[in-house]
Parts: sequence; C-alpha cells; structure tokens
Amino acid sequence: MSLGKISLPNYLGTYIFLIAIGILVLFPLSIAVSQSFMTNQEVNRWPPKIIPTEPTIESYRALFTQQDIRLDLWLRNSLIATIGHTAAVLVICTPAAYAFARLQFPGNKILFSLLLVTIMIPGQVTLIPNYMLMRDLKWLDSYNALIFPGAANVFGVFLLRQFFMQVPRELEEAAVLDGCGYLGRFWHVILPLSTNAVTALGIFVFLGHFNDLFWPIIVTSTLATRTLPVGLSIMQSSYAGQYRPMILAGAVVSTLPVLIVYIIFQRRIIQGVTLTGMGGR
Amino acid sequence: MASIAQKRGTKPTGFRRLLSPDLKTREVIAAYIFLSPFLIFFTIFFIRATIASVGYSFLDWRLLRPSPPYIGLENYAELFNDHIWWDSVWHTFYFAIMTVLGTTIVGLAAALAVTRPVRGAGFMRVFLYIPQILSAGAMGLIWNWLLSGQFGVINYVLSFVGIRPVNWLGDPNLVIPALSLATIWWTFGFPMLIFIAGLQGIPGHLYEAAKIDGANGWQAFRYITLPLLRPTILFIMVTGVIAHFQVFGQPYLISGGGPGRSSWTAVIYLYNQAWVAFRMGYGAAVAMTIAIIMAVITAFQFLVISRRVEY
Repeated sequence: MSLGKISLPNYLGTYIFLIAIGILVLFPLSIAVSQSFMTNQEVNRWPPKIIPTEPTIESYRALFTQQDIRLDLWLRNSLIATIGHTAAVLVICTPAAYAFARLQFPGNKILFSLLLVTIMIPGQVTLIPNYMLMRDLKWLDSYNALIFPGAANVFGVFLLRQFFMQVPRELEEAAVLDGCGYLGRFWHVILPLSTNAVTALGIFVFLGHFNDLFWPIIVTSTLATRTLPVGLSIMQSSYAGQYRPMILAGAVVSTLPVLIVYIIFQRRIIQGVTLTGMGGR
Repeated sequence: MASIAQKRGTKPTGFRRLLSPDLKTREVIAAYIFLSPFLIFFTIFFIRATIASVGYSFLDWRLLRPSPPYIGLENYAELFNDHIWWDSVWHTFYFAIMTVLGTTIVGLAAALAVTRPVRGAGFMRVFLYIPQILSAGAMGLIWNWLLSGQFGVINYVLSFVGIRPVNWLGDPNLVIPALSLATIWWTFGFPMLIFIAGLQGIPGHLYEAAKIDGANGWQAFRYITLPLLRPTILFIMVTGVIAHFQVFGQPYLISGGGPGRSSWTAVIYLYNQAWVAFRMGYGAAVAMTIAIIMAVITAFQFLVISRRVEY
C-alpha cells in the first residue's frame, strides 16, 4: 500500500485503530458465514474451527428442504408486508406533511404541536389495543396487520414537513400561474424537489419494518404467514441444539437481501442517516 | 365559479359558498383532504389505541374471559408489588446505560478515525455501518452462537489473552453485559454517522489556531472537539436511552430471557404477560407504566441538559 503524501507516523495510530475495529466488525459475520459451511460435528468442537476443513453446502440444502423451514414464504411475506407498509407510509404522510408545511387552515399549528407531543409516547402503549383490533377485524395472519398499523408515521410527517418548507415559495407561485391546483403544486413542484428526503424516509421505513420483530411475532401464528425475522427466531428455538450450521446459514441467507439493498443504496443510506436522524431500526 | 363571485364583489354564503368557495376556503378544504388519510389512520391506530390502553389497564382482562370486570388500580398495585417487574426494569436500565455509553464511545472513536485524512476512510464509513442493517433475527442467531459457553468463538478468542471460558449466557451476572456487548457491535454505526456530521460542522480554523497556540492533539480534542460536539453527544444519548430501553429482540433471541429471568427486560415482561399469559388488562398496565418511566427518563435528561447549557 503506497501512502503517498500522507506521512505514516502521524496517522499510524488511526490506521491501527481502523484495522482493529474493522476486524471486530467483520469477525462475527465471517464466523457465521464460515461455520455455515461446516458439518454439525465440526461446529461442536473445542477449540472451535474457524475455517471449514471440507466446506459443505449441506446446511444450505437442509435450509431449503426442511418441511418446517420456509424461507421462501417468509421472504415473500416480509417483502410484501414491507413494500406495502413503506408505500402506505409515503402515501399517507407526504400529503399530510404538505398540508402542515404550506397550507393555511385553522388548527395547523396546534394540530402539529399535538402530533409532536405524541412522539414521546412509546410504541408499547398501542400494542395491546391494536392487537385486539387485528383480532376483531380477523386481520391476524394477514398482510393487512403487517401493513396498516403504524402507517400514520408522525416522525415521517415531521421530517417531510421540514424539507417541504425549504422549497422556495416562488416555485409554487409560478406553478399557480401555470394553472396548477393544490394537487398539481404538491405533485409537480414539492415532491420532485424533495426526492432526497422522501427516498431517505422510504429506505429507513423499509429497513426498519423489514427487520421488525415484536409486532410480527404477535400478529402471525402459522408457518406460512411468518416474516423472515420471526421465522428465524422460530428456527432457532427448534433447531439450535441439533443443527447449528443450518441456523447460521439461515442468518446468512436472510441478511443477503438487506445487504444487497445496502450496497446499492449505500451513499443514499449513509447521507440519509444524517439527513433524517433515522438509523434503519 | 369562484371568479364570478369575486367579480361581483359579494361572497356567496352557506351552501353556495361550499359549492363555489373563495381561495381561502378552498385552501382549508384542500388541507383537510391532504390530511385526511393521515388523520384517519392516526385516529384508529394511535389515538383510539392509546385511550383504549388506559381503559384496559383498569380491567381484569384475560383473553378468554368474555366480560372483563373493572378492578380499578389493582393491576398497577400488583405490578408495583411484583419483584420480577422491578428486576426486569433494573435489567433494562443496566442494559440501556451500558449500551448507550458503549455505542457513544465506540461511535465517537470510529467517527474521529474516519474523518482523518487517511486512506480507505470513505470505505470504512460504509463498512462499519454494516452490522446496523442486520435484522434482530440474524444478529440474534449469530450472537447466540458466538456467546455460547461451550463452543463459543468469543471464549476462544479470550483464551488467547489468558481468560478462561466464561458462561456468558448462563451466568446471571454476565448475561446483561453480554447482550450489551452484542448490541454495541450491532448499533454503534448510527452514532458514528451522526458524529461524523457533527465533526464536519466544526470549523477547521479552530484547530489551526489551537496548533499555533501549541496545543497537542489531546488538548485540541478536549477543548475544541468535545465542547462543540456536546449537542451531538446529548442527542445520541437521549435517543439512545429511549431506543435501548425498549430492548426486546436481543434477550428474546440471544438469551431467551434467561438464565432464569435474569435477562428479562421491561418489554420481555410485557410480552410474557400479554402474549404468553394472555393477561391483556395487566399487560396494558405494564405498557402504561413503561410509558411513564420513559417520560420520566426523558424529562430528567432534558433537565440535565438545560442545566448544563446555562454556564
């Protein structure tokens, strides 16, 4: 590695630190990947093996052939529920944010401050009543239960309002002269100029919902309706003792879709964290 | 239509006004149309649910019982006298504080490293954030195995520095620190990115001035970086305590709440009351109490912050 114009001694400590923390971050992930290619006997051994002597894809094959492990269905459920929920959040929150940012109506300020106060109330408060509602609507074990509760995302409205307020008013006025109504101004002026904020919100709502555990645990109960994180947790409770490499293979396979999303959108995600103050969870 | 009414200089009234509203009224109507999907969903899933939760917490409601009797504050009284609850709250505090301190320190150190002009800094920002994108499911499966007392790789690594194998998930005194360690690994990426933004907001000429005055690296950090990062640090700690106090996935997946109940957290307790024992009324009282505790924590934090800012 050529260090060029950067003087090594000044930054030696930084390099050592970065290498160390890089190893610490990579280590658990690489152990999971590496041991997922081992046999069960090889994993249950002391001292532990880091590299498989004879790599085998047996655990991956088992993952896709066990009757009570349905990664395909769980992934499908997770994707449908997550895409549906993200779409619902954006469809519901962007117009509301526009109204709060730009339209004059009685109660605008009061309503908005009341909404902000509700951010303080933790999600646990609504769990039981919403669970009972899902039960009464016969929505348990359905996509509806995974898509609609939480779609009125107050934080999303707050965030989008901030960005919509930054769009210069003159642009909206120009659109009015061109004969645009409120919908036109929202759709052709405000939204196109706020794509960064809208996509960032969309990405974090997506990641957060895809990885959610508590709500899907309580509103799904059959093998075919579980989401990926819930499926993994069930797999762990039934197989951890007998077949560890398969559990690790499940963790690896379930992480791949999110990792691909992350690699594709890495710049947007990294910028989005500071833009939105959201972390993807 | 509106323009005709305006030309005549008279405003239509009553029903006609609704049919041909002036600009102001049209804006109000538009605003409520834009707001209505949000308000409908918010009313059903938040306002109704929050009010219902308060009501449920006064009922002796087990899921299979048809008409739950009103029992006043008895659920709360039972909760306050349940040492399992207070143990769970203590575990949660212990976990949240350790995790917040850990993620803040590691996140700040990582942010300081990747904002220096070193090679690969841009790559490291993206790379170090990877654990954060893992689901609680995947993270839990991996750490349940890494922390295993019998064959766990963590113990193997520690054996190189002479530490004898530790039963992380089987020792009541170690299980919360172990979960905290896993969570620091999992979530330090968020504070790191926020700190990077905070560090980039500090004007470079301050460091140049300090250098001219003969300050060393530590002094520059202590007297420039830290004070100017204070708002960022506070933001990270306030949001971190709130987020980590609601911990569920890690004890649920890594330690199963055990050994015994030594890694039960407040939300694990709620889960067990409402969805294992199916005591919905009692569960609602637990949820309300969690909300009150979190409000107190937040108020306390803001009090500390405002006092610090004064001088």
